[in-house]
Amino acid sequence: MASVTLKHIKKIYDNKVTAVQDFNLEIQDKEFVVFVGPSGCGKSTTLRMIAGLEDISEGELFIGDRLVNDVEPKDRDIAMVFQNYALYPHITVYENLAFSLRIRKMNNEEIHRRVCQAADILGITEYLGRKPKALSGGQRQRVAIGRAIVREPQVFLMDEPLSNLDAKLRNQMRAEIILLRKRLDTTFIYVTHDQTEAMTLGDRIVIMKDGFIQQVGTPQEVFETPHNLFVAGFIGSPQMNIFEAELTRDGDVYSVEVQGMKLQLEGDRAVCLRERNVQSQKVLLGVRPEHVSIRFDGGENAVSGTVTVNEMMGSELHLHVAAGAEKNVILRVPTIDLTPEQRASLNAGNQLNFSFASKVVQLFDPETEQSLLWGGAAE
Amino acid sequence: MAREKAIPEVDIVVDEEKGVIREVKPVNYRSKSAHERRVNRGIYAILIIMSIIWLCPFVFLVLQSFRCESGGQVNYLIPKQFGFDNYIFLFKESNFPKWYLNTLSIAMVCAVVQTIITLSVSYTLSRMRFRGRKLIMKMILVLGMFPGFLTMICLYFLLKQLGLTQAGAIPGLILIYCASSGMGYYISKGFFDTIPKSLDESARIDGATRFQVFKKIIMPLSKPIVIYTILMAFMGPWGDYVFASYVAFGRNESYNVAVGLYDWVNTNDYQGYFTRFCAGGVLVAIPITALFLALQRYYVEGVTGGAVKG
Repeated sequence: MASVTLKHIKKIYDNKVTAVQDFNLEIQDKEFVVFVGPSGCGKSTTLRMIAGLEDISEGELFIGDRLVNDVEPKDRDIAMVFQNYALYPHITVYENLAFSLRIRKMNNEEIHRRVCQAADILGITEYLGRKPKALSGGQRQRVAIGRAIVREPQVFLMDEPLSNLDAKLRNQMRAEIILLRKRLDTTFIYVTHDQTEAMTLGDRIVIMKDGFIQQVGTPQEVFETPHNLFVAGFIGSPQMNIFEAELTRDGDVYSVEVQGMKLQLEGDRAVCLRERNVQSQKVLLGVRPEHVSIRFDGGENAVSGTVTVNEMMGSELHLHVAAGAEKNVILRVPTIDLTPEQRASLNAGNQLNFSFASKVVQLFDPETEQSLLWGGAAE
Repeated sequence: MAREKAIPEVDIVVDEEKGVIREVKPVNYRSKSAHERRVNRGIYAILIIMSIIWLCPFVFLVLQSFRCESGGQVNYLIPKQFGFDNYIFLFKESNFPKWYLNTLSIAMVCAVVQTIITLSVSYTLSRMRFRGRKLIMKMILVLGMFPGFLTMICLYFLLKQLGLTQAGAIPGLILIYCASSGMGYYISKGFFDTIPKSLDESARIDGATRFQVFKKIIMPLSKPIVIYTILMAFMGPWGDYVFASYVAFGRNESYNVAVGLYDWVNTNDYQGYFTRFCAGGVLVAIPITALFLALQRYYVEGVTGGAVKG
C-alpha cells in the first residue's frame, strides 16, 4: 500500500512524438484511480511509466516517498495486469501464479499458501493444473489478476484488463474487480477507454486527451461538472447533446436561448457566471439525453424537431431527433411512463417538442471549448 | 454432375418423437473428379521420381562402403562381396578416428558457444532498444553477403600470430567459427519477435531480471529455434573444408574428417581408397542424421499458443 505521485511527468519518444505532457497527479494510498480517454491519449504510456516499462523523459515519479524514475520494474513493488493477459504459456496456472514468488526465493509452503488463497479468491482452484492454452478468456484474465494478487504489491496496475472479454463477461469481471478491490484494500491504477468502466470502478477518474489531462475528479464530478466540451462528450452514454445558443446577461440575470426556447439560469450556474463576469455571448449548450423531456402538451417554450430514428432499448427509448441546425439530438425516454398513443407518436418521421430545465445545462465557450461554469480555464 | 444436381440443398426430416420438422444438411457426396485424381497421380509420380534421384547417391555411398572387392569405380551397383573391411581400415590403419574426434570436438564446442552467442545477440536485438541498433543490424546483413573465405588470408596470418594454426588448429578453428556466430542472428531474432513483448514485461514486473526472463520465459518458448540454432552451429564446422584445410595446413593430426578424407584423393592410390572414402562418408553422416531424427519434432511444435488471446 502506497501513494503514487506524478510530478510534471512527460514522455517524448525517440521519434519526437510527445505522448504525455506535463502530467501532475497525486494518487492517495488505497485509492482507485482510473485513467480514461480515447486511444492514443497517453493513458497506457503513463501507466507503463509508473510500471517502469517506459522511461520517463521528464518529471519525477514517487511511489510512497521513494523517487523511482530510475528504479527497475522488479524493484518498484508493483503488479500489473495486461490487456492480453501475458500468461506464461509453457507452465501451468499454478506455476504462473507462483512465478514471481519463486523468483523471490520464497519457501514452498508460503508459495503454496498464497497461490491457493489467490486461486480461491478468484475461483480458479480447479484450473491450477492446466496450462493457459486450456482456459477460456475469462479464466485467463482471472489467472492474470491472480498473478498480481499473490505478490501482495503496494500498487496494482491494470492496463485495459477487460477489453478482450465479451460484453457479458466484462460486466461480471467488473463487479469482481470491485469486490476484489474491497478485499485487497490497496492502491489501484486502472486504464480503460470505456467510460462505463471508469465511472463504475474509480474513486477518481483522470480523463486524458492527446497527452494532456482534461479533468480529474470523482465520477460524479466529471459527470455533473465537466470542465470542457471533450469531457462532457466523453463521459456519459449516449453522449451529451450540444446546441448552439445565445447567452444574454441583463444586470445580474443570465438567460440562454436555444432555438426559440428561453431559459433563465438560476442557482449555482448563475453564481458561477457572475463570479466569472461572463458577458452576453454565443455559447455551446450541452444537455444530457436523460435530461431532455418530451413535451406532449404542446410547443410552448420548447424546441421542436423530427424523429429520425427510434431505438427500442427495452426499459427506455433512444430517440434521434433532427431539431433545426442540430441533426442528431438524442433523447432517452423511459418507456414505462408512456401510453400506447404517446409511444405511437414517437415513431420515426413524427414531429415532437422537447425541453429541458436550466439546472441541467452545461455552457461552453465555442472557441476555447472550456466550460463557462466550472474549472479554472474560463478566466 | 447429374448425380450432384439430384441432391437437394437441404433434406427435411420429420422427427416423430418430438413432432417437429428438422432440416438436415445433406452429406457432401461430391467425390474427387477424375481430372483431380489424374493430376494428383501425376504429382505423386513426379515426387517419387525426385525422391529416387535424391536418394540414389546415398544408397550408392552406403553400398560402396560395404564393398570388399578392390577397385575404384565399378560398373555395377550391388557389391559382389559385402563386409566391414573399409570400416576396419578406417579405424585400425588410418588417422580417421583422430580426425573424427577433432571434428566432433570442434562441432560440439561450436554448437554450445555459437548457440549461446547467437541467441543472446538475437534476443538483445529483438527486445532492447539502443543507439545504433538498426545500423548494426544492417551492417551485419551487408557483411553477411560476402563469403566467409574472403577473409582467409587475413585470418590465417592472425591465427599464425597466435599460434593457432597446424598444431593449434582445433582451438583456432573453434575461434573462427564462433567469432562470427552473432551474425547469424536473423532467423532467431525473427522468432523472438513473434513472442509477445508483454510476456517479458510481465515477467520483469514479477521480479525477474533480463537474464531470468531470457532463461525462464523466452528459452522454454523457443525450443524450435534453439534446436535449429544448435543444429546449424553443429553442421557448419562438421562439414567445413575450406577453413579446416588451410588452418591445419599439412598437419595430418589436426585434420577434420572432410580434409582428411579428401587428402586421400591426392594419394597415388586414390582408386584403392574409394570404398574407404565412402565408408568415411557414411560415418560422417551418422551424427547429423541422428541429431535430425532426434530433434525434428521440435521444428513443428507450436509453443506460443495461449500466451495472449488467440
